[in-house]
Order: sequence, then structure tokens, then C-alpha cells
Amino acid sequence: MSAPILEVPVLETTGLGVRRRRAWALRDCSLSVPAGRVAALVGPNGAGKTTLMLAAVGLLAPDRGHVSVRGTAAFVAQDKPLYESFTVGELLEFGRRTNTRWDGEGARARLDVLGVPLGRRAGRLSGGQQAQVAITLALARTPDLLVLDEPLANLDPLARHDVMRTLMGEVAGRGLTVLLSSHVIADLEDTCDWLVVLNGGRLQVSGDIDDLLAGHLLLSGPAEAAEGLEAVSATGTGRHATLLVRGDRALGPRWSTRRPNLDELVMGYLRSPQAAALPGPAGVAR
Amino acid sequence: MIWVTWRQHRAQLLTTAGFLVLLGLLLLGSATEARSYVSGYFPDGCPAGFAHCGSVEVAVGLGERYDAVYTLFGWMPLVLPALIGAFWGAPLLGREYERGTHRLAWTQSVPVRRWLAVKLGVLGGAVVAGGLLLSLMVSLWRPVFREGIDSGFGNIGVFNMTGVAPAAWWLYAFAAGGFAGTLFRRTLPAMALVVAGVAATMFTLFALSDHYAPPDRAVLSGTVVLDDPDARLVGATWVDPSGRAVDDPAACERGLDTGRSSAKAEAWQDCLFAEGYAYAVTYHPPERFWRFQWTEAGILVAASALLCALTARRVLRRRG
Amino acid sequence: MIEFQLDRGSGVATYLQLVHQVKHALRLGTLRPGDQLPTAREVVEKLAINPNTVLKAYRELEREGLVTGRPGLGTFVERGFGGAGLAEHTRLRRGLAAWVREARDAGLDEEDLRALFAAVLSDASREGVA
Repeated sequence: MSAPILEVPVLETTGLGVRRRRAWALRDCSLSVPAGRVAALVGPNGAGKTTLMLAAVGLLAPDRGHVSVRGTAAFVAQDKPLYESFTVGELLEFGRRTNTRWDGEGARARLDVLGVPLGRRAGRLSGGQQAQVAITLALARTPDLLVLDEPLANLDPLARHDVMRTLMGEVAGRGLTVLLSSHVIADLEDTCDWLVVLNGGRLQVSGDIDDLLAGHLLLSGPAEAAEGLEAVSATGTGRHATLLVRGDRALGPRWSTRRPNLDELVMGYLRSPQAAALPGPAGVAR
Repeated sequence: MIWVTWRQHRAQLLTTAGFLVLLGLLLLGSATEARSYVSGYFPDGCPAGFAHCGSVEVAVGLGERYDAVYTLFGWMPLVLPALIGAFWGAPLLGREYERGTHRLAWTQSVPVRRWLAVKLGVLGGAVVAGGLLLSLMVSLWRPVFREGIDSGFGNIGVFNMTGVAPAAWWLYAFAAGGFAGTLFRRTLPAMALVVAGVAATMFTLFALSDHYAPPDRAVLSGTVVLDDPDARLVGATWVDPSGRAVDDPAACERGLDTGRSSAKAEAWQDCLFAEGYAYAVTYHPPERFWRFQWTEAGILVAASALLCALTARRVLRRRG
Repeated sequence: MIEFQLDRGSGVATYLQLVHQVKHALRLGTLRPGDQLPTAREVVEKLAINPNTVLKAYRELEREGLVTGRPGLGTFVERGFGGAGLAEHTRLRRGLAAWVREARDAGLDEEDLRALFAAVLSDASREGVA
């Protein structure tokens, strides 16, 4: 497949465990995201997505294990917090004065293209413009890893498209690595090439999306024939069953088989929290 | 970071500065008017060394003028620290957490430790400067009315408006507000807590301040009034001829005064003095002004340092 | 330069859509040898897709010998489709248009036309002509 044999990880966690309010929000999480990848972080509410992101950017200290970022990490938190009384220009000034590396010219140019007025107060911008300003502030730090918590939530379709165009342009332009969470998988299908699935504080899936899709099959056939088949998860009504299975096997004419799409793959794993598709101890090396 | 601090908190800084300017103008106007009132009576200057130059009429006139302003600033020792705590301290971290902007502020290159140090340092410094300015203005204004009468030691309200006390109180309230913000991670409850906390601290310290030094004791005979209006009274008791303290001497019959008259109480006191009783007063003489000022400031500054340390600990432990 | 479009509901993989659009443009002559394809950045800033998808499509086109990537310069069209130059293309198209008119006059509707064309195409490929 398209994945190279070995890629340099920009984000790497080993045995990461984080406790929040006495309960484990994240347990025994070992994953890596290679350079230049756009990684989708998905999972139900409370799965530990935000916790993983906060740990990645250093806002939460691990209680167990390690988390490391090669280079600098920038973060856009959920709801894209900005100082609402600051004008956009003042927010850029804030960034310039609180950072050692700062691409103010690039940030101004980007906002100019997007039509965000520098003199307007952040609190009076539209949701899409606020998202663009928050992302511009993060990108102006010229990070190696950009972490975005639900960047598309509460945005209209046009704003979602614009945000993604900005991000993808940056990935193509200078090999930025992105980790972004969402619970709308349709938003991620064309933009992400790496998948991380968290469920109940545990890591379920981590890997290249093309490899994962090529490594699974969606079977559909008679329920009684499903007995004894090793499946990631199975759904069905009465005599008919649909199974998500790993690998590539021929099962005879009673089964219709096809490749799952990203949504089906993710749902298949989320349905059975004990199943996992993780790379071996060698990390991203395959 | 200093620009960031200024930009984020300029509303508080400007409002407080504006308030101090207004107060300054009020005190200046009041003092100027009082001076011209006195010089209307004594055009060649004061012969007696008192603000009222020994004239009863002038004393009454000055007293009315003083009271008019005092009704305004009488509540300031309590209200100003509470306002500083609520509007400078509580939002410092409470608002960052509430709006989620702490995740913006603390993921830039500036380390959280430095972010907090600059904020506490710059704003704490501004608060101390504001408190000192208030104290200076009150100290310049008050003698116009009270020179030769008292220095502001005996009245605990005035005591907390002069010297270093206002600065120490403001700093303490600011630090307490900052800490309250980390407890609730929201501004409004932090404001409520800091107002309650400052009030509780104030009444505790007011009660405690009598014990900043062992009080002096004076045994009075023939009068129950200490000959120093500026002394701070701690306690008083009757002493019988054998030298024992008695709370309620029974040697003389005590009649009940009616209305505003105190004739029967005075008669009772005279009777007791005639029987050989004495009146023992414990008090702090006004020379202890600075000792008490520094003791109170020391307690408050130490408490502020502790609160700042606790704030830093909570912030650094739970950044997310 | 070619302008890519995406049909997100089609079910066809995104990189394949890009490959098809380049081939289509080559067939129609809107892309010719020597023309430059847009850079990955230009494509993703328009379509909001992963840059690796664009690179995958370009690799596929390169594998088929249709384009070459020149490091630091960009990706360029290497050759069009065999034989069918623009003049040839126009001539064939004219012939086909005449045939369509003829078929319509004979009473065939659009569905019939498609079926007939598909049947002939399939016969031809079985005979190894195409």
C-alpha cells in the first residue's frame, strides 16, 4: 500500500495513562502519528480524546507512561477560545509577544485572504471567522504538530470546507502533522490519512487509513453461517448478519463481501470495545 | 507578557486609577475649602497648634466638614479591598478557566510559570501602588481637620486607611481573589468567596490587632476618660481599694439615667472614687502606630505570599 | 491548467476521481504534453482533501506513463493518448454526431443509443480490436 516502511513519528505515546478527577480518563495508550500525516481522533463522548490532546500539548501531565512530540506542538482547544475583547490585530500581537517563533506576516496574509478584518473584536466575528483566527494563531507559531479539538463543531458547511482547505494547504506546503478530533466521520473521510480510535479511555485502533480499510472486509450473509467466524463485530436482524472481519478471505457464495468505508470500520470497532487493531511493538514500522 | 497583562487588565487598571483620581480631587477640594474656612477666622495663622486653633466654633465647623467626607470613606477600608479582590483577583484565573482561554494562554512559548509570575507581579505591584496612593492622599487630607487632635491610631477604620495598611489589604484581597479563581474555575463564585473571605479576615484582624503588643495600663482616679483621644482602648475595669479588679462594684448605689443625661452615672463614678476605688484602663498609646502598621502589613503580606504559592501550585498541577 | 472537481457522493475513491479527470482532459485535448498539473498544495487548498491523496493520484498517472514529476518544478504531462490527436479527435466526433442523427431519424431514443453503443464496444473488445 501507500504507507512507507518506516516513518518518523511526530507524536508518540507509550503506556500513557492520565487520571482526571480520580478516574482514569486514558489508560495504557501507546500510539504514534508519523510526520506529515493528518490523523483523525475519533470515539464516543468521554472516550478520552480531549485528555489525549491535552497530554500531547503539555496541558496535562501523564500519571503513567510518556508522551513526546518531536518539535513544537500548537493547540486549538474546543470552542476555539479567544480573548473576546481583543481585536484580531491584538490577538496577533498577543501571539507575537508570547512566542519565540512567530510568522506574523503569514498570519496577516492568511487573514487577509479569508477576509477577516484585523480591527474587529474577536467576540464579534462569526463562528467560522473565530475558527480561522484560532487556527491562524496556532499556525503562526510554525508548529510541527497541530492539535485541534473538534475544529469543525458548530461550523456551517462552507466554514468547515474553508477550515479544512487552510489545514490541508499547510500540510501540503510544509509537511505539518495534524491530530484532529471529530465525531462526524464524514468530515474526515477525504482529509485524514491516519486513524486513531479511542473508546472508554482505551486505544482501539491506530494506523494508516488505507491499510486499515484494505485489511478489513464487510461480510453480509445468513446468520447461521456466521457461527464460529472470528469477527471484529457483528450486527444483524433475525437470519441475516453483517460482519466486519479482518484480513482477506473467501467465504463462498453465501456471503457477499466488500471493503468497508471509514464509517463502517470505525462503527465496527466502537461496537465491540474489546477488539483492537494496533501496530505491533515496533510502533509505526510494518 | 507585560503588554499582554496591560491589554487584558487595562479596564481594571484604568477604572481603579480613575477612582483614585476622583477621590483625590474630592479630598483636595474638601481640604482646600476647610483651610479657607479656618483662615477666614484666623487670617494671620493659627496661634494654638490645633487644626481648629482652639476655637469651639471652628472645631464644630471642621467637624461637620470632616464628617461629611468621612461618611463616604468610612466604609472604604472594607469595601475597597473587597472590590479589588472581586474585580482584580477573582477574574485573573477564574475568567481564563471559565472562557477556556487558559488553554490558549498556556500553550504558547511563554511557560505557565512565567505567565503567572508576570501577572501576579505586575498586577500585585499595581495594587500595592494604588493602596499606597490612597494612604498618601488620606494622610495629607486628614490633618487639615484633625491636626493636634489625633493621628488616626485610635480609630481602627482610619488606621486602615493610612500608612501601609491599605496597600497590604489590597494585595491580600488580590491574592485571595486569584486563589478563589483556581478553586471554582469561574469568576462569579470566586468573587463571592473573596468578598466573604476579605470581610472575615478583616473582622478577625480587627479583633486580633489589640494583641499586636502587650497593652499599657493606666490607673485613673477622679476620671474615667484617658487623657489621650488617640490612644486605642483595649479594656477597662474598676479596682477596689485593696487593688482587686471588680466588674460590678457594689459600694455605691447606681441610679438609671433617663434620656441623654449622664448625671446619675457620673454621680456613681464620683461616689466610687470617693470610696477609694480607681478605674484601670488598658490601652495602646499612639506611638505604636508604625509598629501596628507593620505588624498588620506583615501578617497580610505573608498571607498573600501563601495564597500566591497555593495559586501557583493549583495552576501548575491542573493546567488543562 | 486542469481544474479538479469532486463528486463526494459517487462512491469512487477520491484519488481515482482525480486520475479519471486527468485522463478525460487528455482525451478531450484540454491537457496536452508539456502542460503542468497543479501542485498538491493548489489542489488541496481548493478541494480540502488530504495532500497524500493528490500525490497518490499523480503517482498512479506517473506509473501509467502519462505524467512525470520533475523535482522542484512540478508534475508535467508526458504524452496524450495514443494516436488520437486533436484533429483526429474532431473528425471522429463529427462522424459520431452524424451517426447519432441517423439513429434518431430511425426512431431510436437515448437509451437505445447507449445500449447499442455499449454492445458494439463490447463486441469490438472481444474481437481484440479496441
